[in-house]
Order: sequence, then structure tokens, then C-alpha cells
Amino acid sequence: MRSAECVVVGGGPAGLAAARTAARHGVRVLLVDENAELGGQYYRQLPAAFSGGAGTHPVKEQAEGRRLMDEVRGLGVEVMAGAVAWGIFDQRTVAVATQEETTRIAADTVVLAPGAYDRPVPFPGWTLPGVLTAGGAQNLMKAYRVLPGRRVLVVGSGPLLLVVAHYLLQGGAQVVSLCEASSLRGLWRYAHRLLPHLDFVQQGRRYRRELAGAGVPVLTGHVILRATGATEVTGATIARCDDDWRPIPGTEVTVDADALVVGYGLLSSLELSRLAGCEHRWEAALGGWAPLRNRDMESTVPGVFIVGDGAGVAGSAVALEEGHLAGLSVAHRLGRLTGRDYSGEANRARGRLLHLQGFRRVMDEIFRFGAGIYSLADEQTTLCRCEEVTVGEALLALREGATHVNEVKAWTRVGMGRCQGRMCGPALAHLVARETGRPVTESGVFTPRPPAKPVTMAALAREIE
Amino acid sequence: MTQPDLRMSPPAERGRALTILVDGQPLGCHEGESIAAALLASGCRSTRVTARTAEPRGYFCGMGVCHDCLVTVDGLPNVRACMTPVRDGLRVEIQRGLGEWGGQS
Repeated sequence: MRSAECVVVGGGPAGLAAARTAARHGVRVLLVDENAELGGQYYRQLPAAFSGGAGTHPVKEQAEGRRLMDEVRGLGVEVMAGAVAWGIFDQRTVAVATQEETTRIAADTVVLAPGAYDRPVPFPGWTLPGVLTAGGAQNLMKAYRVLPGRRVLVVGSGPLLLVVAHYLLQGGAQVVSLCEASSLRGLWRYAHRLLPHLDFVQQGRRYRRELAGAGVPVLTGHVILRATGATEVTGATIARCDDDWRPIPGTEVTVDADALVVGYGLLSSLELSRLAGCEHRWEAALGGWAPLRNRDMESTVPGVFIVGDGAGVAGSAVALEEGHLAGLSVAHRLGRLTGRDYSGEANRARGRLLHLQGFRRVMDEIFRFGAGIYSLADEQTTLCRCEEVTVGEALLALREGATHVNEVKAWTRVGMGRCQGRMCGPALAHLVARETGRPVTESGVFTPRPPAKPVTMAALAREIE
Repeated sequence: MTQPDLRMSPPAERGRALTILVDGQPLGCHEGESIAAALLASGCRSTRVTARTAEPRGYFCGMGVCHDCLVTVDGLPNVRACMTPVRDGLRVEIQRGLGEWGGQS
């Protein structure tokens, strides 16, 4: 067991910002990230081995991220990369594993910045190779400069789809069409609220113009119905949907595609905040759970702060500001910032956050999550990708009396696989809600258990005391 | 694996050329690429066959969350192809079922 003044988990925008601010105020910070290189998904860098390595930045945010990482390292933050935080014990003891060993760090303060992942939505054919998430497609193109296919169908909701389509076009792929689930009707109603955020709006318009220029059909109010193919995806069926993202029968259209990118929004990674015992609440606009926090970014567990997309998906600008605020809170808590200095700086950060959140709220309304998307799966559709449990098998458990996701788990093995229920949990909760006729918040969540990510027995056996 | 290369940028911007073995067959790729990127770039999209229904699976979340792109690497099963960089001479096997230590499950 070792100790630390502050452990930051996650090296994306939120975690980097928290580490930078805390370190600037003299806090000794240990930053843990699962990837070999810091940056998270948004700042994901080109591999160092690509010629020019750190100097080659085809994307603006990669350059931004590089500067922030250099700054964090320059401030003396200790970085543990390629290390997975697989558990939190006794509120603030973080268990960290590399391929070879595991160690526990008793921290005075913990900042969780675990980020988010694409909302998994089961539909017939969603397990076929060639079907991939929007985040996965973006990583493949942004970091490795590899296209997921030549004729790509993009489905889902939100601005991330535009970014994915932009990368596809840049790489020379054909975007068969972009199916946005939200209707995007009556956008003029948001004009006055978007006025203070013209930079974001203009970025979106540039992407739309690029799509129009390439002749890509943008179909609003459309969802995926199924992916088809024998051993990999060769086509898909799409359909119109209602405002709750439920497909409308009789509107099906079939298209050819050799890759299907799916992105129905993002979900916060909550494994560590749940293991730490933090309270969470349902955020209807996001269609997911988020940890409760006070205005200092502190969770309901004293000394555990949660920032960025892992605390309710809000994007990189909000993540940077929240990370900064948590860094200030950590410094204040450890006595490195006096009350007066703290409140001045913290209030300025809160003001900037309020401004940014205005934009996020408009985005959340325009692309409001529709639970009807969970009606796409039929009984043969795989629900749990790891344990290969179908929707039909889960329904059987529900019809025999299960009323909670953990009961379905015990009866069918759904959620018992390597992904720890991240892929099936949200869809199962909606299935339970549908079958029991209760709100999704009553379905429960899988009991969090360490390890949050698989750890080898060899690493556990070599735990460093 | 005969489809055209799906790499976006000119080869000069990549790491040095190296060779890995995929089910015993040599596959050219570049230092810095993940196993998943190297496989996908050459059109190899199934990284494993599932244990229960023998379905092909591949790269899905691309960020180490879904554990679907599992391969056997140098005899070690259940390695995430999206999180593991290639090395010259790396032995990758398309994983069948739960995989076996030593490979060739």
C-alpha cells in the first residue's frame, strides 16, 4: 500500500484539467489512465511511432491535448499510464493494476474522471463484425487513420455523428447516409439560446455543409432497424421513427453498406463511483444515471470528486472547467488554497460552467434521448454480448417473475461477462421496465463489484504491499 | 484478407513496416498500430468466434469497454485487440470460444 495526496483516475480533458490545477497549487498528484498514452477519447493522440509522432497533429484537439499533457507532466504530476483502476475500497483507496502487478493507493482525495462510452442499443445484427460504435469509429480514424469500411452507414443521434461522417469523408469513404433519430424540427425556437454559443453552431454548420457538398443524405427522424450479413455486415434496414425514437412500421428502406457506425449518445462510466459508494440519480434528458455532486464537484462520499463525461455527459469544454474546479477543491481541502482565494477562483469557474451548460442543455433538448430505441430488438437478438444471452431468454426470466436486473442476471448470466454488464445493463433495465410496467429507475442496476475491468490472476498474486 | 488497404493517410506518415502472424499467415502492418487497426486495415474484421453459438465478432466499442475484439496473442487468450499495439513477429490467433493458454484452441 502506498499513499497519495490526490489520485486522479482518467487522463482525458477532465482528469488532465483537475491534475493541472491541483498540481499548480502544490498538490502531489498521481494520474492513472488505462491507455498507454494519456488523452482519453477526445484528445486521443496518434501513436508515437507514427513518423513525426508527437509533432504530427492532423486534428486540432490532438494538438490541444498534447499541450495540456506536456503541461501536466511539467508540473511534476506522476503519471501511471497503461494502468487500470479496478476498484475503490474504504472510500478512497484506489486499486490499480498493470499487466504485471497490482497496487493499492490510499488517497487523501480522489478525482474520478472515467469518461463515457457509446450507449449500447441492441438491434438484430448488432453483433456482426463491421458494426461498430461512433466512438470506436472515431478512434480508429483519428488515432490510427484507418477507415472502418468503404461504404459506411452512420446512424444514431447527436453532434458526434457529424464528426464521424467528417472523418469518413476526409478518409475517402462513401457515407451511404446519416440517420439522425431526432426530428430536428422547430430548431428556430432555440435560436436565442444558441446565440451566445455561435462558435459551436458554426462548427456544426461546417460539418453539415461538408455532408451536403459530398451529396450525403441526412435523414432526420430515422433509426436503424437491423444490420444484415452472413459473417459480417453487408447491408442494413432503416426506418422513420417517432419522437420517442420508436420505428414507424411501413417506412423501412434497405441500403447496402460494408460498415455500420452506431451512436445513440453516450453513457457515463459509473463503475468506480458506484464502487466508492457514491449516490447516483437518473437524468431523464441524458437517459442515464449520473453521480450526485455539490457545487465543488464533490460526490456524496467526502473527498471523492467526479468530473467530466463520467459525471453526466456534457462534452470536453464542460469537462475542462469541471476538472479545473475539482482541482481547486482538492487544493482547498488539502489546505493549499485559503478560503478567500478558493472562493474567488471557484466562483469564476462556476460562472464559466454556467455559460457552457446553457449550450449543453439546448443540445440535450434537441437530441433528447428516446427510450423507444430499445424496442428494436426482437427475441432472437443478443442482449448480453459476452455471455450470449438473448432478449428472449431475459424475457423468460421476467415472465417467470423477475422484477430487477440482478434477478435476471442470476437466472440467465446476463451481465456476468468480461464487460461487467456495461454493454447489456442499460438495455436490460429498459426491458425490465417494459415488462413490469414500472419506470426504468425501478429496474435497478447491476451490483457493482471489483474488478471494474478484468485483471489477471498473475497481477493480483503480485500485489505490492 | 484480400480487400484493399483501408489506411487513410500515405504510408510515409506511419511507423516502420513490420509483420505479425495472424493464424500463421504473415500480415504487414506498422509500428504504433493496434492489433485491431492492423486487422481492420486489411479487411479482417472477425477477431473471434463466440463460445456458445460460434458467431463471428469483432471490433465494436474501440476503447477497451466491450471486450468483443478478443484475440489470442503469443499464446495468451482474451487480449483486447483494440488496446494492444502490434510488435514485429507478434503471433495473433483469431480466438475460438474462450481461448486456451498456449493458443491453437
